Amino acid sequence: MKVFMYTLSTCPWCRKTKKFFSERNIPFDYVDYDLAAENEQDKIMEEMKRSGGTMAFPFVRIDDEIIVGYNPEKYSELIEQKRGRQK
Amino acid sequence: MNVESRKKALRFMFQKVVDPLGYKFSPDEETVDFLLEQEVMLEQKHGIPFCPCQGLTRKREENMKIVCPCIPFHREHFDAIKRCWCLLFVTKDVTNPDELKQIPFGEIKRG
Repeated sequence: MKVFMYTLSTCPWCRKTKKFFSERNIPFDYVDYDLAAENEQDKIMEEMKRSGGTMAFPFVRIDDEIIVGYNPEKYSELIEQKRGRQK
Repeated sequence: MNVESRKKALRFMFQKVVDPLGYKFSPDEETVDFLLEQEVMLEQKHGIPFCPCQGLTRKREENMKIVCPCIPFHREHFDAIKRCWCLLFVTKDVTNPDELKQIPFGEIKRG
């Protein structure tokens, strides 16, 4: 299972999202959009707009599933699903 | 003006804007304080207290829609989830902000 997220350094829900995965020992990669270089921001913006149409953070991708917003129930549900498939 | 003074000033100004819209500051004081501090820093950087939970683009007209309080530009969305995206503001009937989920507009429209 691969977890990746776009976050903002200023957003408390992005911090909570990172904490959610850290506390469960689930490795993840992330990019803070506001701290990224302009060309990288453009790529992120394009991906986010293609997936949901807004620039609302956090933007979490678990394998190929996207969840916008801090939603621990959905994260857990997806993690369980993915782990179930791996067994 | 130092950060604490500016936080107080923003709180005073925002209150006047959100009250007639049917919103109030979230009862989650820790989150409110953190968000106001982020807004002061965004204001110091960009000259405008943008939403700390939405990303700035290169388009000014898009960015103007996330100047806090951005409720008028996201009315349908925020009214449906009873909070602004950041949870700085909630609708006046809310007593427990922990119950409010951060649901994107696209999901609300899909029902």
